[in-house]
This record gives sequence, C-alpha cells and structure tokens, in this order.
Amino acid sequence: MTRFLATTAIATVLAGSAFAVELTVGAANVTGYVDPGRDHSNVGSQFYYNTFDTLVEKNYDKLQGEFRPSLATEWTLVEPTVMELKLRQDVKFHNGEDMTADDVVFSLNRMYQATFPPYQVRSRDRLANFEKAEKVDDYTVRIHAKREEPLWETLLNLQQVMIIPEDYTKGLTGDPKVAENDDFEAFSLKPVGTGPYAITQLVPGETLVWERFDDFWGEKAPLDKVTVRHMPETASRITALKTGEADLVTNIAPDQLALIEADPALKAAGSATALFHVMIMNANHPVLKDPRIRQAMSLAVDRDTLNEALWLGKAVVPSTHTMEEFGDLYMPGLKTFEYDPEKARQLLQEAGYKGEEIVYTSFPTYYTNGLLAAQAIVEMWKEVGINGKVNVVDKWTGGDADMMARNWSNPMYFADPFGSFGVMWAPKGPSESEGRFNTDEAYAESWERFRFSKDVEARKAAYAELMERISQDPPLLPLYRPFESWAMNKNVNWAPKPGHIPYVLDFRAGSISFASN
Amino acid sequence: MVRHIARTLAKMIITLFVIVTLVFFATRLSGDPINYVVGQGITQEDRELLTRYYGLDASIWEQYVRFLGSFVDGQFGLSFVERRPVADIVAERVWPSLQLLLSGIALTILVAIPLGILAAIHRKSWIGSAVMTVAFIGYAVPNFVLAVFMVLVFAFTLNWLPVVGNSTPWHFIMPTITLSGALIAALTRFTRNAMLDVLSQDFMRTARAKGLSEAVVILKHGFSNASITILSVLGLQIAGLAAAGNVVVEAIFAWPGIGALLVNAAILRDFPVLQFAVLAVAFAVIIVNGVIDIAYAYADPRIRLGRA
Repeated sequence: MTRFLATTAIATVLAGSAFAVELTVGAANVTGYVDPGRDHSNVGSQFYYNTFDTLVEKNYDKLQGEFRPSLATEWTLVEPTVMELKLRQDVKFHNGEDMTADDVVFSLNRMYQATFPPYQVRSRDRLANFEKAEKVDDYTVRIHAKREEPLWETLLNLQQVMIIPEDYTKGLTGDPKVAENDDFEAFSLKPVGTGPYAITQLVPGETLVWERFDDFWGEKAPLDKVTVRHMPETASRITALKTGEADLVTNIAPDQLALIEADPALKAAGSATALFHVMIMNANHPVLKDPRIRQAMSLAVDRDTLNEALWLGKAVVPSTHTMEEFGDLYMPGLKTFEYDPEKARQLLQEAGYKGEEIVYTSFPTYYTNGLLAAQAIVEMWKEVGINGKVNVVDKWTGGDADMMARNWSNPMYFADPFGSFGVMWAPKGPSESEGRFNTDEAYAESWERFRFSKDVEARKAAYAELMERISQDPPLLPLYRPFESWAMNKNVNWAPKPGHIPYVLDFRAGSISFASN
Repeated sequence: MVRHIARTLAKMIITLFVIVTLVFFATRLSGDPINYVVGQGITQEDRELLTRYYGLDASIWEQYVRFLGSFVDGQFGLSFVERRPVADIVAERVWPSLQLLLSGIALTILVAIPLGILAAIHRKSWIGSAVMTVAFIGYAVPNFVLAVFMVLVFAFTLNWLPVVGNSTPWHFIMPTITLSGALIAALTRFTRNAMLDVLSQDFMRTARAKGLSEAVVILKHGFSNASITILSVLGLQIAGLAAAGNVVVEAIFAWPGIGALLVNAAILRDFPVLQFAVLAVAFAVIIVNGVIDIAYAYADPRIRLGRA
C-alpha cells in the first residue's frame, strides 16, 4: 500500500514517462529555519546546497579544493586586497527575479557589514577580514578585504555567503527599502535562492519540500520533488525505508548497519564526517591548572580502542587536529596526540596529583556514542591512576568555571584548519572567551602567520607551532571523526560527496540517480 | 449545577496559572538558550549581543511580566528558533495531537467498557479470566515496547501498515493502539470491578424481580450506576495519556504533533514554545478533566440535582 514512492520514481525513470520523479527522505532532524547566513549547524547544513548557490563552487567529488565558477564566472585580484568578480548573466531566483550585482552586494554585505545580530556572530568568527562588497556594474562586483587574504576562494565558497535576493528580502516586512532584522527573520521561513531546487513548503522542524526549479542556470535537477520528513526514531526511519515510506534515511548509527546490510532491498553509504568529537579540558580549573595533569588525561585515552569498540573501527582517529580535506595543510605526519599510559602515570606523579576527583561531563544523547565514550574514558583514566567520574548533564557547561572535562565537537565549517580548529580556538575566540583556554602573545603571533601567510609552507609551519602549543598545554583532545551513514533503497544511487561540509544532502545533477534494477 | 460548573471553571483557571508560572521558572533553570539556538562556542561579546537580541537580558521578573503579557495579544511570544508567533507554531501541531488523542479515547471506550462488562458478567467462566489476563498483560507492557513490537511485526516484517506520519487512516492504527493500550487494560479492570460492585446490589435483584430483560438490567441499572466510577477513572487516565503518552508515540511514529514539538523545544531551550506547548497540554488535560467532572455530575443525580 505504501511502497509507492521509490517504486514509482524508479519506474518513471525507466519508462522515461511524464510521471514525476519523487524522493522521500526520512531525516533524524529537520531544520527550524533556512537561512544560510546565520546557520552553521549540522542539522541546517543538510538543506542549503540544493537551494542556494555561492559565487565560487568546488568540485565536490574531490576531497580537496578545486574551485570552479558558479554564480561568478571569473575572479581576479585587482589589488592585493581587492577581488573583482564577473557575474553569470542568466541567473534567476526562485521567485522569478534576475540576479544582478545588487543582490550579490547585498548578500555579501549582510555578512561583511552585518547589523543583524545572528549574522554578526557568524561574520566575526570567519569573515572578519572582509570589509565590504561594492557594485562596479550590473554584472561586476568588487570585494575589499582588510588584509591580504590567502583563502579567497574558500571564503567565497562558504555557506554563509550564499546569494539571496535583495528586493525580495527587504520587502518581507516593514520598509521595503531597508534591510531590517525582521526581514532576515522572515526570510528564514520563506527562503529564496538560485539553486536547482526551490523550497516550496517548510514546516519548521517537521517537513521541507523541494521542487525542481526549471529556470535554474545550470544543469537541471534530476528530481521533480523531494520531501524531507522528520523521523526522530532510528528504528522508525529504518522501518519506513523497508515499508517504502522513505527512499533515503539519515543518521544511521554504526551498530544499525548490519540490519541494513542484511536486507537485499536496502543499502547504506557512509563516511567519516568532517568533524571531530573532542574532549575539552578546563585549563583554568584549580585541579587542572598544571598542564601535566591535562597531558596525562589525554595520554591515558586509547582512542583506537574507542574507535574499535564504539565505531567498529570506521571512525578516524587523528594524530593532530587535522583532516584530509585541508588539502595542502593536511599534516598526517604531525603527532601531537597519542596514547601513552606510562607517560601519563609519570606526568601525574611529577605534577603531584593526589587523586582529586576529575569530573567528565557528557550530554546524555547529543553525540552518537558520547556517553559510552565518556564512561570508557573514565575507565581508561582509572588505569593510570586518575580518579575520574562521569557526570551526565543535558546542558552546555563549557563556560562554567567548575567544568573540568566534557564532550564537545569541532566541525569543519570550511575546508581549512581555520574552518575547523581555527573557529573554536582562535586567540580571544569562543574557547578562550569561555574561560577554559588561555593564549598569549606567542600563540597569537603563530596564529597570525597561520591565518594570513600567503605561503602554504609558512602556514603549515605556523599551524604546527599551534599544535605543539596545544599538546604542551592541552585544552582539548580530538577523539575521532565519527562515522555517519545514510541508508537507502537499493535502487537509489546516492552517497555523501567528499568535498562538502558535513551532512549536506546534495541532490543536484550528477549527485543522485536510480539504478535500473 | 451552574454553581458546580462555575467552581470547576475557577479551579481550571487557577491550575493553569500555577502551571504557567512553574513552567516559566523551571525552564529558566534549564540552561542558557543562546547555547542551543545559536550553537555552542561563541565569544562572550557575541553571547551578550544575542542575549540582548532575544530579550533575555531583562530581569527574570520583567521577563515573567512580559510572558504574562504575551497572553493578552494572543501570540504567546516569538519562538527563539523560528521567530514567528508561538500561537502559530502550536496551532500547526494541536490538530494532529488532538486527532490522535480523540481516536485513542474512542478506541478505549469502545473496547474497554464492553470487555469490562463482559468480564464482570462472566467472572466465573474462562471468558472472564481470559479478559482479565489480557488486561493485566496490557497494563504491564510499557507503550514504547508495544509500539516497537507492533512496528516490528506489522510494518517491518509484514509490511501491512505505514509507520511514519499521519496522512491516511491507516497511519492511525498503530499509534492509536499504542496510545490507548495501557488505558484499555486499566479501564477494563475498573469497569469490571465497578460492575461487580453494582451487580451485587439489592436494586439489581429488584430489577430482575420486576421481570426486566437481562440486557436492560445490566445496561440500565447496572452500567449507569457503575459509570460514575468509570468516568472518574477515565478522566484521570486520559490526563496521563495526553501529557506523557503522546510524547513517546509521536516520536516513534513521527507524528507531527505537540509531543514532538515539546521534545524539540526542550532540547533547543526554545522557552516561548516550550512554555506554551506545556500549557497547551495542561489545558487539554484540564479541559478533558473538566468535561469529565461535569459528565460525572450529570451521571450522578445527587450532584446534578444539587442535593449532595
């Protein structure tokens, strides 16, 4: 009775008939709003790439950056800090308006010169080097950076600077000539972009419907309609896949994969997500002030065992805060985090640790396997003589003075160490601001070279210095990149593309197809 | 009767006010919404900026007064996440939940009362024992176990029933049974016991002696006297159903109702939505109880005629 969606979809592809090609996605979480500018959540990132375009796009089939034209057809540095971009001329927004330089300038400046508080936050942590965008003519814009920018393409490819329509947004509330806060709030429930799919229905937290946008400037979308439905329970998502109520479901934990693989009608696709589950340690807690104690807390953790036990070995354990996606800045040879219980014992002794209780706080459910990892880590601590205790709290305590250690994550917001380590651990950044991490002039100086050097080798060297500082006085231990899977009907050919930030549902041409059997 | 209704209404309003106040202060203790609405890991400067933007910089009393004020304009404030009136958000969700609740109540009454009467009449035969055994088992099985079991059998294995959403009547079957399972079991037992009490009364013998048919004796004289007890039990049980049962059922069956909204708002610390959703559930419970109260009065002539 309900096995209609996938089967009709497949039948129609085969027959090439006029029937609609539809796909139903069962998602563990559906976003409460759609605004690429303010959002940087894992839930939200699923929904932007189908709907919006950036000026510069990446070859998402590749793990490492290979930039190519999208809404901008060419870009050149006309001055050391000024980039000039030529815009594509035949681009329409979902509401029928043409995209011109005005829309691009508006979209960029809503971030670069943000007045809307949620934009200001995102702008400060990743776009602080951009002063403004200005129109040269209808299809030419210039972007002014404050200092020479080594990451131009990367930062033009960000979700936060996806292009939205100016007149439409300003006209949503109040004065149609002015961009008010309420305009951006209203936009997030009635989003309009230039992507191959238009959002035609959004019930926040519940349902999101995409329909093919026929006036898309690029290759037409392969699906007529995609319905993303909120299905919070893993068991229900898998069952919905079996009954045909969903064709593709998100967030399947590693221990559920056997169930999918045992069914001949289903299959799974997964990857080690570009995000670290981390253990943070409070450098300013009286018990943990001596860096040797935090080093011991880190050295005691056998991350490979955690990977084997919790992720069936499918997670990726890093040697330092690095990911393959970083391209030239990927440093697999650098080892700043390791398992050495003997050294941990020795450091504890040198530091004069007297068995004070060290509390590891964990969210109960937020991170897959988070609580199990917490329990295992405390047991591993016990092996080296640390008197640990797990404390389960459904609350963020990263800014509490009495927080000692807890679980957290460091996502890769864009493919550069600046977009992963950089956002959270910058001098005066979130971690330092929350009072659990300290930096000094030397750290800030290394940081400057890492962020702004034009020479890749110089950036690498500076990043290695930062990693060394982190290992000498550790505020965190990256545990692993969790393994995340999607399950689907055997006839659906889809997999997360390696070039995207985590969790992107990419249904553009070339990203999804249906098998003939 | 009028005085009884007025007193019931006054009690309802006071209860709602107490709940609203408790929920307001309890949510304030559960963490800073900025961490959840915007994401963790922001600088102190940005935290202050957003705290001001969401109006959380005001003193808790000022926020409380503003919160009470939001009842006056009928919008109940703006969601932190969606920035639209909470009334709109909850309105989207009320109907699916109410549909489920009503179908659960209907199924309960249709199944439990006849079963209970049957078990009372045949209390000494195998029929009575069988009914009571099933009822005991039903009472002991938690609803999420029942739900998962049904999903496994009827959807996962047999593929007879759909498992997510509420788009067709077929979608109602498993959620309704899950929601009402324990209630059916409980009400069957209460109906049986209430009937047994009544069946041994003198007036039953009188009714039979008058030469009335057994059906009339059981239903008119028996059941209508037992119904007072049954009604009050039903009221109490439905309250629990609306408050707790829906949350589990809606999560498992991806039912787009208030329960799902409540859970999400709690995780995101979306205070305005959380407050109003709890309030809406409390309101539903109180309304159902109020209706039962009045029905109870109606069923008992001592109350109906004001002679109590």
